[in-house]
Amino acid sequence: SSAAPISPAETISQAYSLALYMQKNTSMLLQTYLQYQGSPFSDPGFSAPELQLSSLPPATAFFKTWRALDDGERLSLAQGAFLALTQHLQLVKDDQSDLNPGSPILLAQLGTARLRAQGLLGNMAAIMTALGLPMPPEEDTLGLVAFGASAFERKCRGYVVTREYGHWTDRAVRDLALLKAKYPA
Amino acid sequence: MLVLNIISYFILIFPVLAERLPLTPVSLKVSTNSIRQSLHLQWTVHNLPYHQELKMVFQIQISRIETSNVVWVGNYSTTVKWNQVLHWSWESELPLECATHFVRIKSVIDDASFPEPNFWSNWSSWEEVSVQDSLGQSMLFVFPKDKLVEEGSNVTICYVSRNIQNNVSCYLEGKQIQGEQLDPHVTAFNLNSVPFIRNRGTNIYCEASQGNVSKGIKGIVLFVSKVLEEPKDFSCETQDFKTLHCTWDPGTDTALGWSKQPSQSYTLFESFSGEKKLCTHKNWCNWQITQDSQETYNFTLIAENYLRKRSVNMLFNLTHRVYLMNPFSVNFENVNATNAIMTWKVHSMRNNFTYFCQIELHGEGKMMQYDVSINVNGEYFLSELEPATEYMARVRCADASHFWKWTEWSGQNFTTLEAAPSEAPDVWRSVNSEPGNHTVTLFWKPLSKLHANGKILFYNVVVENLDKPSRSELHSIPAPANSTKLILDRCSYQICVTANNSVGASPASIIVISADPENKEVEEERIAGTEGGFSLSWKPQPGDVIGYVVDWCDHPQDVLQWKNVGPNTTSTVISTDAFRPGVRYDFRIYGLSTKRIACLLEKKTGYSQELAPSDNPHVLVDMLTPHSFTLSWKDYSTDSQPGFIQGYHVYLKSKARQCHPRFQKAVLSDGSECCKYKIDNPEEKALIVDNLKPESFYEFFVTPFTSAGEGPNATFTKVTTPDEHSSMLIHILLPMVFCVLLIMIVCYLKSQWIKETCYPDIPDPYKSSILSLIKFKENPHLTIMNVSDCIPDAIEVVSKPEGTKIQLLGTRKSLTETELTKPNYLYLLPTEKNHSGPGPCICFENFTYNQAASDAGSCGHVPVPPKAPPSMLGLMTSPENVLKALEKNYMNSLGEVPAGETSLNYVSQLASPMSGDKDSLPTNPGEPPHCSEYKMQMAVPLRLALPPPTENSSLSSITLLDPGEHYR
Repeated sequence: SSAAPISPAETISQAYSLALYMQKNTSMLLQTYLQYQGSPFSDPGFSAPELQLSSLPPATAFFKTWRALDDGERLSLAQGAFLALTQHLQLVKDDQSDLNPGSPILLAQLGTARLRAQGLLGNMAAIMTALGLPMPPEEDTLGLVAFGASAFERKCRGYVVTREYGHWTDRAVRDLALLKAKYPA
Repeated sequence: MLVLNIISYFILIFPVLAERLPLTPVSLKVSTNSIRQSLHLQWTVHNLPYHQELKMVFQIQISRIETSNVVWVGNYSTTVKWNQVLHWSWESELPLECATHFVRIKSVIDDASFPEPNFWSNWSSWEEVSVQDSLGQSMLFVFPKDKLVEEGSNVTICYVSRNIQNNVSCYLEGKQIQGEQLDPHVTAFNLNSVPFIRNRGTNIYCEASQGNVSKGIKGIVLFVSKVLEEPKDFSCETQDFKTLHCTWDPGTDTALGWSKQPSQSYTLFESFSGEKKLCTHKNWCNWQITQDSQETYNFTLIAENYLRKRSVNMLFNLTHRVYLMNPFSVNFENVNATNAIMTWKVHSMRNNFTYFCQIELHGEGKMMQYDVSINVNGEYFLSELEPATEYMARVRCADASHFWKWTEWSGQNFTTLEAAPSEAPDVWRSVNSEPGNHTVTLFWKPLSKLHANGKILFYNVVVENLDKPSRSELHSIPAPANSTKLILDRCSYQICVTANNSVGASPASIIVISADPENKEVEEERIAGTEGGFSLSWKPQPGDVIGYVVDWCDHPQDVLQWKNVGPNTTSTVISTDAFRPGVRYDFRIYGLSTKRIACLLEKKTGYSQELAPSDNPHVLVDMLTPHSFTLSWKDYSTDSQPGFIQGYHVYLKSKARQCHPRFQKAVLSDGSECCKYKIDNPEEKALIVDNLKPESFYEFFVTPFTSAGEGPNATFTKVTTPDEHSSMLIHILLPMVFCVLLIMIVCYLKSQWIKETCYPDIPDPYKSSILSLIKFKENPHLTIMNVSDCIPDAIEVVSKPEGTKIQLLGTRKSLTETELTKPNYLYLLPTEKNHSGPGPCICFENFTYNQAASDAGSCGHVPVPPKAPPSMLGLMTSPENVLKALEKNYMNSLGEVPAGETSLNYVSQLASPMSGDKDSLPTNPGEPPHCSEYKMQMAVPLRLALPPPTENSSLSSITLLDPGEHYR
């Protein structure tokens, strides 16, 4: 598709606004998710940072490393993460519609989060185009999904996905803020 | 192996011997099923005779962790064929992942074809089953995963921790559970009687930690299903012999989330036909009747979920389970005032089917029930109905031969026809006698629904003169009127009243009005009512009576009410909800003669409940004297009160502590004390309060009382008794004032006379006749009066030499008019007798006058006019007169002569013609001594001189009186 050339500042600003908006809802998504999973997830103050998914890159990074990345690298990492997140959010939504069919609120929030992650992906692609950066290839980040995962494993998986969605959104806000400062309107 | 080979060898070589040798299980393989947590064994039995079946018993031993720890031993009997692979499963309580299991097996022939004794074979070697190695790299595992169990069952869970340094705690729904360590890496937890918490499963998780640092969480979801219940109230019935409708109460739904278990399924199985049907609904199922011949059914309803199967059984005859369809076409035929025929239909089932039906008739708040047996068409004769009444009739039916169930009700409403009213209306009258005629008001009560038999359309009133033969008058009054007015002359009349509906007229109600008016005076008797009503009794009327009537008026509608009483009764209780407390009701009791003429017997009046008076009288204070006053309330009406007024209470407050005689001490509701006087006669509406003190302050309050209490609280009226002497004073003062006034009037009227008598006018010498006499003789030395002892003032008129007319004013007319050619001084000073020629002048300086003017000026010669008669100044001795004269003169001078040409110089009144004074003058020392010099002075009009001198005023004075001009 041949879209009219848009200035980087405008696309960055757009993406930044979306990321900020997403940031407001990520903690609510995580809380809603945990609330439906039973103990220990629903216990107050539940946190299990050691739980990770190999298919989902962690958002945490050393600040020095992160700061030293060039724009293309930084955007590529975020784009890869959100690509993985959109797929994982769909997986979690499928799991939950099986486990918690009577919880439309959670299912709706998961669906919304996935759509927003996709939206941010689109915005990031636009930025990369505007900056003339090479687009990373789209890939199936989920790879082989353990469909036979136990119910508890699926609950854990959902937790990691909703948690990392929040972390990656926070990181995207920082990424875009950095870009915004670099390409002022 | 060597042993086995040897045995095989023997078996092969010596078949006879082999028959006696045990057949040992070989090729034992054990696999695991993680979902079912079961061990699956498969083996074969070698050396079985070809094509021969043998019954064998296999004993299986299962050990856990180590071979010596046998956890299960059991036998498995089966028939074994040649070359058959045998299968057997064992479900482990402990998840297989948590421990290594060992299995071995031995067998024995248990077949009749084999002669006894049989020996157990040797044990197979231990087969080891371990799943742990295939678990993966994680450091903590919890098993079993996603296990489905029934509520109340016992479950063993376990964890495998790879790192023995980790401290592992496990929790069930947040509560820590205690386990049993199987080996340093494995701990098992026995959960007894697990509860159902939710259909999404129960979380059980373990947390590995070192110190306080969490190393990871692992968990499982245990799906606990509710116990499947047996279906309740299973029942089948048919409405048409085509379909059997079966229903039941399914009880709890055992469905679980995560698709772990769907809702239980229901299956209908009929054993006679062998047919089965999976039901799509959880609480009902339809079964098609295919064979007409099948009368008996044996149904089994099977409820099933993943864990359990429950069933209920029912055997029945189809004809005993007939639930008829509802009756239809309910109708009413031949409906008249009291009867109707009800018809209905039922759905035909089979030939010669008898139905049993039940009819319910609802109407007039009552219900009647009738039973009837019918075939296809139902019919029932409903009798003894009320006319003009709406009824509701409904019917339901059942199989008459085998009662199973009633149908639903099918019903319809109908209304019976009207009939003529069955009873005469209850009629009463009130008669107002006027000269020459009676005004009779007839009242009647509407007929009850029971007697009206329909809608009353009108009332017929037939008036018939009993004294003279004449035609009867008919008045037709449309309903719902309940009264009419008739004006009748002084004759006896019979009045018949009938109520009419669309069918006919009621029996007549007859009343006779006698020709004589009701002029009988009857004493009114007071009665006491109660909240329930009034109890009245009267003396029986002599002679025959057909009954008594008590009438009264309702309040506040003021509608005549009456009650009929039988002839043998002389008392009754009038009770109605309409009686209001505080309202006076007047009852009249009439006797009805056999001629139906009413005769007033007694009058009663009373209150159902007396109330305290609603208002207090307006009290007037009369005849106020120093020692008494009279209170009166003549216009207070005692009849219009909410109770019988029994008297009045007069409250009096005064400063005196003691109450007056006849008064008693009383305490008011506000706690203050006062004196109270009680008047027992309601018609005594005045009271003289005496023995009072003069000039004292009293307060009184009059309130009536009934049996219920006093009137409302109100303020006391204040009265102050007059002073004892004040009246006396008035008696004296008034005549005195009158006298003085009289005298004054007389004085006014006679003022002229008094003036003339007491202070006549002083005669004016200039008006006297003597003056003309003097003028005539021209004797200047003659004067009328010599005022030698007055100190006169002098006015000096300065005229220009050209001559100015100087008019001397001050008296009513000018005495002289002199034309002067030189400045002239009109010498007004009184002179001595010899002072006829120019004499010495005295010059005064008035320092209050303008200095500039006085500086500029100097005294001129003041020649005295030789013929000026100074004596005229006698009239001007009063300074006031002089000033007036001056003022007038000054004004005139301004008007008559140009300013500056004439100046009026004022000579102080202090000036006296004494020679000694001239030395004291501070100015003009060089003037001739014979003539006193005058400083120019301005004559200031009195009104200008009155305010204190200001610059402006002095300036204006200068302007007016230029000294230069003046000097010229």
